[in-house]
Amino acid sequence: MKVIETRILILGGGATGTGLARDLALRGIPCLLAERRDINAGASGGNHGLLHSGARYVASDAESAIECREEGAILKKLAPQCIEDTGGLFVAVEGDDEKYIADFQSMCDASDVPAHEIDIREARELEPVLSDKLIAAYSVEDGAVDPFMLSLDNLAQSVALGGQYLRNAKLIDFSKDNGRIQRSTFLDQTTGEQFAVEAEIVVNATGAWAGIVAALAGAHINILYSSGSLLITQDRITKRVVNRLRKAADSDILVPGGTVSVLGTTSVTIDSPDLCRPSVAETNSIIEDARAMIPVLDTTRYIRAYAGVRPLVLLGDSGDARNVSRNFSLIDHARDDVDNFITITGGKLTTYRLMAERTADMVCAKLGVDAKCTTRTEPLPPSTMGRWTEPGLGPKSWIQNRDADDLILCECEMVSRNAINAIVENMGGMHGNSILKAIGMRSRVGKGPCQGGFCGLRITGHLYDEGYVSEAKGIEELQSFVGRRWRGFSPILWGLPMVQADLQEALYCGALDLELHDDDDDDFTCEDA
Amino acid sequence: MIKDDTIYDVMVIGAGFAGMAAALFASAQGLKVVQTGATGGIDFSTGFIDLMGVHPMEEGKRWNSPWAAIDAAVKDYPKHPYALLKRDEIAEAIDTFTDFLAQNGLDYVGHSERNSRALTPAGTVKRTYRVPKTAWKGTLALESKAPTLFVDFHGLKGFSGKQLVETRKRNWPGLKTVRIQFPSGSGELYPEHMAWALADPAVREKLVAEILPHCDDVEYVGFPAILGLNDPQQVVAQLEELSGKHIFEIPTMPPSIAGPRLRAVFDRGLPVLGVRTLSQKMVTGVEKLGDGSFQFAVGSGAAASTVNAKSAILASGRFFGKGLRADRNSVSEAVFNLPVVQPGNRDEWHLHEFFDHKGHPVNMAGIEVDEQLRPLNAGQPVHDNLYAAGAILAHQDWMRMKCGAGLAIATAFKAVKAMKG
Amino acid sequence: MNFFDIGFIIASVVCAVGIVRRLARWCGKPTSEVSVSSLSWHRRLFLALKIFFLEILLLGRTCRTGRIRWLAHCLVFFGFMGLLLFHAMDDTITARFFPAYESTLDPWQFLRNLFGGMTLIGLALMVYRRVRLRSLRSLTRFQDWAVLLVVGGIILSGFLLEASKIMSPAVFDVMVYDYFIPEDGSDITALKAVWAKKYGVVFPEEISDSDDVFENGLSLNEDSCVDCHSDTTSAFISRPLASALHPLAPALNRSRADEVFWYLHISLCLIALAALPFGKFFHPLTTPANLMARLGRRDAAKDDVPSPAIRGLGIDACTRCGECSLHCSVGPAFSVLGNSNILPSEKLISLKGFESEASLSGQALEAFAEGSRICTECLRCTDICPSGINLQDLWMASKKAVSKVAPDSNQAIRLMEISERAAPFGECSLPPISGLADNKESYLACVQCTTCTSVCPVVAVSEDPSRDLDLLPQQIMNLLRMGLKEQTLGARMVWSCTTCYKCQEHCPQNIRVADVLYELRNTVATRLREGECADERDG
Repeated sequence: MKVIETRILILGGGATGTGLARDLALRGIPCLLAERRDINAGASGGNHGLLHSGARYVASDAESAIECREEGAILKKLAPQCIEDTGGLFVAVEGDDEKYIADFQSMCDASDVPAHEIDIREARELEPVLSDKLIAAYSVEDGAVDPFMLSLDNLAQSVALGGQYLRNAKLIDFSKDNGRIQRSTFLDQTTGEQFAVEAEIVVNATGAWAGIVAALAGAHINILYSSGSLLITQDRITKRVVNRLRKAADSDILVPGGTVSVLGTTSVTIDSPDLCRPSVAETNSIIEDARAMIPVLDTTRYIRAYAGVRPLVLLGDSGDARNVSRNFSLIDHARDDVDNFITITGGKLTTYRLMAERTADMVCAKLGVDAKCTTRTEPLPPSTMGRWTEPGLGPKSWIQNRDADDLILCECEMVSRNAINAIVENMGGMHGNSILKAIGMRSRVGKGPCQGGFCGLRITGHLYDEGYVSEAKGIEELQSFVGRRWRGFSPILWGLPMVQADLQEALYCGALDLELHDDDDDDFTCEDA
Repeated sequence: MIKDDTIYDVMVIGAGFAGMAAALFASAQGLKVVQTGATGGIDFSTGFIDLMGVHPMEEGKRWNSPWAAIDAAVKDYPKHPYALLKRDEIAEAIDTFTDFLAQNGLDYVGHSERNSRALTPAGTVKRTYRVPKTAWKGTLALESKAPTLFVDFHGLKGFSGKQLVETRKRNWPGLKTVRIQFPSGSGELYPEHMAWALADPAVREKLVAEILPHCDDVEYVGFPAILGLNDPQQVVAQLEELSGKHIFEIPTMPPSIAGPRLRAVFDRGLPVLGVRTLSQKMVTGVEKLGDGSFQFAVGSGAAASTVNAKSAILASGRFFGKGLRADRNSVSEAVFNLPVVQPGNRDEWHLHEFFDHKGHPVNMAGIEVDEQLRPLNAGQPVHDNLYAAGAILAHQDWMRMKCGAGLAIATAFKAVKAMKG
Repeated sequence: MNFFDIGFIIASVVCAVGIVRRLARWCGKPTSEVSVSSLSWHRRLFLALKIFFLEILLLGRTCRTGRIRWLAHCLVFFGFMGLLLFHAMDDTITARFFPAYESTLDPWQFLRNLFGGMTLIGLALMVYRRVRLRSLRSLTRFQDWAVLLVVGGIILSGFLLEASKIMSPAVFDVMVYDYFIPEDGSDITALKAVWAKKYGVVFPEEISDSDDVFENGLSLNEDSCVDCHSDTTSAFISRPLASALHPLAPALNRSRADEVFWYLHISLCLIALAALPFGKFFHPLTTPANLMARLGRRDAAKDDVPSPAIRGLGIDACTRCGECSLHCSVGPAFSVLGNSNILPSEKLISLKGFESEASLSGQALEAFAEGSRICTECLRCTDICPSGINLQDLWMASKKAVSKVAPDSNQAIRLMEISERAAPFGECSLPPISGLADNKESYLACVQCTTCTSVCPVVAVSEDPSRDLDLLPQQIMNLLRMGLKEQTLGARMVWSCTTCYKCQEHCPQNIRVADVLYELRNTVATRLREGECADERDG
């Protein structure tokens, strides 16, 4: 079995894991990041992409509010490529809790979160889609963040500084000796081979899976899995982030992101993070609730739904997930008699940097290394890894660099052949057996109205042309890609998406027989003959 | 509002396979026919005529004999629309339909009793009942595993010869592929435009000159379906003569040329039979008059008109064809607001896996009919003079059972027969 | 009165009459509304100087349409001007400034060959372009070849004339008779030896090649000839031409080829003079005049409505270079419909006919009317025109005029205001045409099937759609859906759309593709009128 040696092993390639890899790399400690599926495959990719101003938490969690305010300001300054500084509104409609509205300003002031009341008419001029039943509106400093670009840029810098990362690497076992993890055994899901990693310190940044991973090391964390579903609209509904001015509930936030808007979030407690997927019932309840704030959400075309799991670390006995602290948990498993094992979980996308900083501080303390954190002041350099996730970049780049052979393969988001090639090249040798899904994660491919219905087939042909896939591999990739998109597509199938889905099935099943096993039967005799 | 004073015998709603077939069969019976419908199913078809290919869906079992497959399916799904038809009727319907296509220059070919294998642009193989003559040699090549060259083009997206070779090479040796420059036009290419260009015999000659150097050790040459719009058979014949090879077409992904070819045949042929076609227009409303006949509102805006007809055949298709509509809670029928048999709520419409063999329950939703193909409400025909045909019918999943075109043509045939009495 | 005088008088009269007729035609038009841009006089002077040096002397405008074309024009312009001023008008100009002028002396002899050579190379490049560029070849008419033929004929006959004079013993004899007083017969023999060897004369008899004779000849030559005759090797084209013709020399000399070529050369010059005010022959005068008159503008702004005289000047300034047609937005419509009046350069010829007294009628008028209708007023022809013709203004005026004479029912509807257009439909009025492009609901239903592009005839006739049209219909719809309207406005597809509505009729989702394209075109037209895009376009 192949054994890789490294100082630090980071488990999990979400915002925290990639942020930690960068933080440590900047301190001169390169590490190995191992991810079970792909970058941001968990909650880091399954959230609003909201850069909190803090106003959302002023009532429930003043400490979080302050952290968000500080970290939001840092990110706007240091990672502007990942942020769209949209600004935000908090609005209340007839029937919302008047006491909450009345207290809002003073609560914001208490946490130093900038917020000021604006005239209702002005609010409706800023965002004409707002309901005419508005009764209060506040302006805040929310923004939108592209979590994929954020993680990829973090990862890119850590790799540039000597770090390594592995996709499709599933942790299967820890071997412990003397109260330390000596060796971590992985399954390479691309090749089916096992390999091991020996590290001085193992950091568990697996988000919702932190409890499961910790259990492998014999440590215990009590985690509540709270699944949250969100909906993506075909169009960008508002310019700004719009929050419902009330005690946190199911469909309070509409976040614009490039050419679309994201609406959510529900909170449903589930038994295992692997069971997380958006449901029809959640979709319906989100829309039925949100239309009071923005009526057009009732009739607009949705592109798809998606879900992520919030890992809520239980401190005591608590019922509803929203009342549990959303502050992150940094656990030194020395308490469980595993000296070189740290878990970082919980928290928010907005505070990922702070989480990485605190974790790196703990790592350095354990290593006895004296190195200061620099991510508070060092800009996050934009990378080619992350650039294709930006909505609208595909068409703009294609128009700028016109090249007769550069055909558009994804019509919805106008991602061209050259763009696909650039993405695949950037993945290096690690595209493994999910190259099409990996392209989808690293670009806008499959994220438009067709949801992979047309682009999937075109890109598969291109992958064959370029020799990235061979034999039946491309077909399997296509099936798996379309299957994956279906998780988010199936909950929103009514109206126009239903028409699109009908066309997609007519193509993939009616015309191409892709639901069946390959027909290599040479028996031409008839059953009734 | 334009008013047409003619009282038609039958209004055919829909211009897909079922609508076209219904208009054809009704006019052949001497009925005065008017037809509406926009671009839809037929324009996106592969050009293959499936009759029945898979049953039970759960097992994904393919059948060589479509007739045996129909018998098996009807046994397990007694309400399947095929249960309303005899084998002779189905065969007569398909033959009449393909005869009409042949008279208009689009021959269809197949084995007499069994399904043929056909290549799809994904590289998969599907079984179908009748294929266009221009694709037939592909079936022969595939079934005999003869050495074959797949040609594809710079600039034609979604069609990769390499993909065909890679997916099929395991048990079809002697495959190869070549990517060439189309002799007329460069940059981004579309099948319809390429087909237009091939109307010029000089372009055909250049095309053959491009591929000949790659043809040494093959018997068959497969092209994406671009070989001519109105006269594909002549184009193929000329290419065969010039190259000395067997030439065939493989359908492309939409928008392909197969649909426009079929549509062109009906656009030419139906008016000759006296059918009045209100193409690209949708029925927006319907009213039942005192004498039992229907008055339809057709089209919108300045082009709106009314049409009177003594009876109607509803062949408006499913969701893509706009025959069925879905809102967040239920599926409804778009023209007559007929009752739609459907799963309880949206949670049950679709399965968790897209490619689940069982097939999504909502695909079995649709209009339930009596043995005369009249839509039912609580077991009774909604109107004596309203019939339904094609994909809108309940208790079938044409996409998974591979019975789309056949079912459409056969039920249209039966509906016209029932109407004639 | 000799041949030259008579010919010159006739040619001059024809030329003068032609010019007067032209001027009369420019000025004879009733004056319409004229507006002149309000530039200060010193700004005007600056512009005029700039135009004169950059665009007239250095042919800067021509450079925008291709380097070969610019080079060819520079060669012909400077070459021919040199010949005209220093050679054709030597008595009036050269002799006055250089009293020692003799046409057979250097540098004049050398310069004549240089200018002639430049002109010939330039003309050859022009012929090459006309023959090589397929699209240009199809636009080329008789007058294009006529100009090239006459100018080329002048230069070629000039060279042949000079070559035949170089080798002619008859010319030698005349010169000897006029300017040389021989002391004895051997002097003539000696001089002949020098002239045969050094100057290239081909004598019928054997010429002595002994050194003594040659030495003697040289000193005689020094005394009597060199003041007026430079060595003919400086005639670097004519002399090699004479050498090349050496085998034919006896025959040419016997038939006095020098006189034949003189008549040919003079005749061609006189023909050119007489033809000057006609057709393309006039462009060397009208094009600079038009550039000056337009002060270098390339747009068609409201503050620059020209007087009829300037309009006439503009029409005559066309050099038939064909650039406008090569850049025409509705060029693809020409490929579909085959009506050459769709192309600006050809429509201009019809416009001349239309404006003449006889006017157009029948099919010619119909074709002109159709060509005028199809024009989308995209300004591209005006922008590219190397002669600076305000084509846009001509089309705007002629469109109106022709629609009166040959009204088109569709055009009548197009000319209506939207409210007027909707009026006949009464209650079921058309939905408003504006606001489609910006309203994302217009594309909500799109299922990305690309049928719109697949059925588009403009895409179909394009040899390379992404090159010729920039964006295809479904790409424009997707960009608009993503809110990237600015990226679509400049696309040639928008201007090339013939509004045949096939895309819209075939869309399975009833998306108003053609209406959106039409609206985009209106949006840009409005902006152009408001001058918002002027800077961007120049940049």
